[in-house]
Amino acid sequence: MFYLGLMWEYFKNYAKSRMTYRADFWIEVVSDLTYQAMNLAVILIAFRHTPALGGWSEAEIVFVFGFFMVPYGIFSCFFDLWNFGERYIVKGEMDRVLTRPAHNLFQVMLENMYPPGLIGSFVGIAIMAVTARQMEMAFGWTDLVMLAVLTAGAVLVYFGLYTAITAIAFFTDAPTGILPLMYNLQSYGRYPVTIYNRTMRFVLTWLLPFAFVGVYPASFFLERSGPGDLRMALLTPVVGMVFTAIGLTVWNIGVKRYRGAGS
Amino acid sequence: MFVMQPAIEVRDLRKTFKVQRNREGLAGAIRDLFRRQYVEVTAVKDISFTIPRGEICGYIGENGAGKSTTIKMLAGILVPTSGTVRVAGYVPWREREKFVRHIGVVFGQRSQLWWDIGVIESFHLLRKVYRVPAADFRRRLDELVERLKLGDLLHRPVRKLSLGQRMRCELAASLLHNPAILFLDEPTIGLDIVVKTEIREFLLQLNREHGTTILLTTHDLQDIEALCSRVIMLDDGRIIYDGGLDELKARWSRGREIRLQFGEPVGLERLERLTADLPGVRWQLGEGMSAVMRVPREVGMSEALARVVGSGVDIRDIKFAETSTDEIVREIYRSGSAAGAERLVGVT
Repeated sequence: MFYLGLMWEYFKNYAKSRMTYRADFWIEVVSDLTYQAMNLAVILIAFRHTPALGGWSEAEIVFVFGFFMVPYGIFSCFFDLWNFGERYIVKGEMDRVLTRPAHNLFQVMLENMYPPGLIGSFVGIAIMAVTARQMEMAFGWTDLVMLAVLTAGAVLVYFGLYTAITAIAFFTDAPTGILPLMYNLQSYGRYPVTIYNRTMRFVLTWLLPFAFVGVYPASFFLERSGPGDLRMALLTPVVGMVFTAIGLTVWNIGVKRYRGAGS
Repeated sequence: MFVMQPAIEVRDLRKTFKVQRNREGLAGAIRDLFRRQYVEVTAVKDISFTIPRGEICGYIGENGAGKSTTIKMLAGILVPTSGTVRVAGYVPWREREKFVRHIGVVFGQRSQLWWDIGVIESFHLLRKVYRVPAADFRRRLDELVERLKLGDLLHRPVRKLSLGQRMRCELAASLLHNPAILFLDEPTIGLDIVVKTEIREFLLQLNREHGTTILLTTHDLQDIEALCSRVIMLDDGRIIYDGGLDELKARWSRGREIRLQFGEPVGLERLERLTADLPGVRWQLGEGMSAVMRVPREVGMSEALARVVGSGVDIRDIKFAETSTDEIVREIYRSGSAAGAERLVGVT
């Protein structure tokens, strides 16, 4: 409850500081929208040219992609920490965060909140709705509840993984190339894993479980799914919690090693 | 019986950093790629001190002496390598989130306010973060606004404030939750003398009225003179002096000086003869028919001066001076320890 209140306060401050630069604000709104529209265009074009992939129909693939966009949007809204090492470790802004009575990771996340990221989630929901109608999928109350649960699980997967990776900044003083690498890898999760070879599938399922933010949970809703797919879908929240636990542990160990900037 | 716990208790506190050593040249850089060399640097070396509640304590030392590292350990930002710290009854780094509600922190070089929005917006957010009840917040804010004269500043964005205005806002921000202990790292750095004085007066008042314990690091010894009853001096990670400011002055001051400008050439012997019966009075000839008389505390100034004035020497000008804290501290730094400084000052 306390943290929900804080989230709202930080959001208000985000909005206010955005609006102090009026011209900037509108330019950013336009550029955010353009960016999201471009993304969508790329997807649509890509799928036009691959009507079916490894036994998946176009509608199914687009549906998976739509699902993927929901947790990814939420994640990119609250976890815009690409410059964490530079800003908080090298410049020592972590000092200030650590002298305030709220969890430090939570504070850092809220300070870097990027609400336009959520646009992607809404687009994702729209894509799912359209493709679901194409496939004449039945959508009931349980599906809505499951959508929420699976989305939460997928967000946790993202959150855990990127928390752990961001925390690397506590252990090394030099920036590492691991973040861009991960960024590239995560995009593989939005396609059906069955199209990859075994090694890749294993990596995307158990090591860097990006398949759990896209194809596995999305398959819960697809007609084609067998019991094996359902099992993987229901595993999403579990994997999410496991990886969140790992991420937070690495983070907390990192904070203890934090050494501040300067002397 | 209720025994008052000290505000800050530090025992054998040590902090060691592992610092990467870069080898020279391109060949060195390539070797660094494969095997890095680390050097252990001990910033704080087993220091101990206790600060009772309600005290204003100055923490001084040259750059790199370990002041900031100590403060950061006390504020829960850094985890000590060894030793124990208790601040306001907490182990700072272990119970950080509960602990920090009882302290206020101002790092002079870094802002804790949101850059683009009005100061008051930052205050409201801090109120939520610290969970200060609305009524308490109102009362506290009114008091701080009046004391620090923030009235006109509250609705301006921080980026449009001058350094002095910003510093006053920073102080207010760190006190909104009425902390029992306030840590200030270089609170007056870069400020003009008027703002410095205002901030000092504010801190004194805060200490008097709310009993706030204050620990401040500074390079400006006037801060220390204006505020602190106690000084802890640090050199190379070790405490070289811990005690009252008056005591520091009394023990290491060269005493008082009378500077005399004569209208005629006067020999050293003649001057020394004038004060021969006053123990400890020393003379030194300056340029252009001037001289300095050093007068120890045991000898009255008027008595010392009377010897010279009454002797018929042609005196054009008289100036009084006292060894400033600045000079004392510089002397102590130069000799490396307070004990050494005593010896050194004794010789001159």
